[in-house]
Amino acid sequence: MSERGAEPALVVENLTTEFRIGGTWYPAVRGVGFALGRNETLALVGESGCGKSITALSIIGLVPRANGRVSSGRVLLDGRDLLALDEREMEKVRGNRISMIFQEPMTSLNPVLPVGFQVAEALRYHTDLSPSAARARALELLEHVKIPSAARRFGDYPHQFSGGMRQRVMIAVALACGPEVLLADEPTTALDVTIQAQVLALLAELKASDGMAMIFITHNLGVVASIADRVAVMYAGDIVELASVDELFANPTHPYTEALLRSIPRVDRDALDLRPIPGQVPPITAMPAGCRYADRCPLKIARCSVETPPLAPVPGLRGHHARCWVRTGDGAGAEAA
Amino acid sequence: MTAPLLEVENLSKSFQVRQGFLGGSAGRVLALSDVSFSVEAGEAFGLVGESGCGKSTAGRSVLRLVEPDGGRVRFKGEDVLTAGAAQLRQLRREMQIVFQDPYSSLNPRRTIGQTLAEPMAVHGLGSASEIASRVRAVLTEVGLPSDAAQKYPHEFSGGQRQRIGIARALVLQPELIVADEPVSALDVSIQAQILVLLRGLQERRNLSFVFISHDLGVVRHFCRKVAVMYLGRIVEKGPVPAIFNEPLHPYTRALRNASPVPDPKAKVAMAKLEGEVASAMAPPTGCHFHPRCPRAMDICKQVYPSWVQVSKDRGVACHLFPASGVATAP
Repeated sequence: MSERGAEPALVVENLTTEFRIGGTWYPAVRGVGFALGRNETLALVGESGCGKSITALSIIGLVPRANGRVSSGRVLLDGRDLLALDEREMEKVRGNRISMIFQEPMTSLNPVLPVGFQVAEALRYHTDLSPSAARARALELLEHVKIPSAARRFGDYPHQFSGGMRQRVMIAVALACGPEVLLADEPTTALDVTIQAQVLALLAELKASDGMAMIFITHNLGVVASIADRVAVMYAGDIVELASVDELFANPTHPYTEALLRSIPRVDRDALDLRPIPGQVPPITAMPAGCRYADRCPLKIARCSVETPPLAPVPGLRGHHARCWVRTGDGAGAEAA
Repeated sequence: MTAPLLEVENLSKSFQVRQGFLGGSAGRVLALSDVSFSVEAGEAFGLVGESGCGKSTAGRSVLRLVEPDGGRVRFKGEDVLTAGAAQLRQLRREMQIVFQDPYSSLNPRRTIGQTLAEPMAVHGLGSASEIASRVRAVLTEVGLPSDAAQKYPHEFSGGQRQRIGIARALVLQPELIVADEPVSALDVSIQAQILVLLRGLQERRNLSFVFISHDLGVVRHFCRKVAVMYLGRIVEKGPVPAIFNEPLHPYTRALRNASPVPDPKAKVAMAKLEGEVASAMAPPTGCHFHPRCPRAMDICKQVYPSWVQVSKDRGVACHLFPASGVATAP
């Protein structure tokens, strides 16, 4: 599925992650698959509970064990299946070859340790740098993520930083070992828009300079448009549409994607008819058979409530896939175009 | 022209801040300084800005949920800030508030029916059966089933809870609603539902809104006039969408350019604004925005720019627009 020719940085195949509620296991992510090209940014976009964060936690092996499990699938990085690794092996990969940043950096940084120490810690853990070399490299990293007067702030604690600066520290920790893949889970959602623009620009720049691939999770289609190369739209645990960013916004094909785009009030134009999507996402414990969007969909036909449509090529559009009986059917005969 | 429904003049407010272990050293945060705006009957007025700009404090001051230090608030000609307890109670019947997080603003141990009936009981409006039928009518109006009255807040989704928050504000038939980030905690598809609901209520009931939001897209959609705030002051005020199409103040422009738009072709416009919002405890001298302003001049570092009425309904506080005659637009 990668269109970049070269070997993809990360391949996710048929990933299903379930949670136990009242003694029964329910899938929160259902058969998700995609290939992430090198130096590519794939946005996972969707509303609360669509499974976008759970997809990322499954990839990096952080699904809470108490009531969650990855029940099927493969996650291939450097030719290895991360899901087959035990926790000790995974600890060598996590924060090293693949790392993750979160929405609220204050809860991911240790409040009683200086930020410089926390960046150096990642290096000490994963590399054999000496303490002084690790400190020097950590300082370089803080400068790399553009923390002003980084040397002076090296010994400061997280509470002494603003939200935007904390997120930069988190990014420095995540990038310390030069990962191939960065998972970014709503990294700018808690930030003000002018700071969000700064952090998005920083991530785009780092991606270009460090050559890493990124999975960017967000609910904001405006942010998607500004940072993604390719987009996967998720709804109730399924990828319902997958396309390049230009394609997705020019030719939204799944009725859910279309409806989402029509329900966003925009600052750059008058939304004369803001058309909300009726109803709400079904609860995980009561997912309908067939297409999970069917009950809210104006195009619904009888087949939609019976059979789950496949993620199939959209006729006439290259590299564009959608999961809809009405718009794409089973995709037979479409790829020729 | 009749007098506006709500007139806010030169509102100011500062908060005492204690810092350090045992609350040692104290400082003052200037949350509002010289804030003035007015809202006509049936109009939605937006207050936008980033966190800490004072927009929520301004909204709450209107209802005296925060007591301002100075200034004047008049609602239908009555002075809100000097009103006594009885008069204030009467005024609050006509001015209500909707909060961002409907869950933390609803009592989890009360049914929705009890929560909605309470304000009417407090104000002594009608018998138990009249109140019950009013509750049902309001629930229907905000798009909830009437059996919702018997349920508890945890039984509802976020969007439904916000409908309950709106119903709670509506039961007293107010004329003005202060809506403090009413859709910020909601998913986009639900956000659109609530915006359509609010718009319908505004039209049917001729409701006025002070609509507080950090989202320029939402404000553009919902409001007819807007004030942009930065570090406790209004920096620009004017009609929508003109203020977003042709922003005068460099901060309004920066805010608009930083607002993501769902269109990959627009990403070039996401120009960066350098620096961060300064601390409200130690705002920069002169124009508070000057350290981040791409067009800052020497005077900006020394003197806070005075308010200039550029046209009948549009004003700005920026040295690029000197009081005598208007400079070229940036």
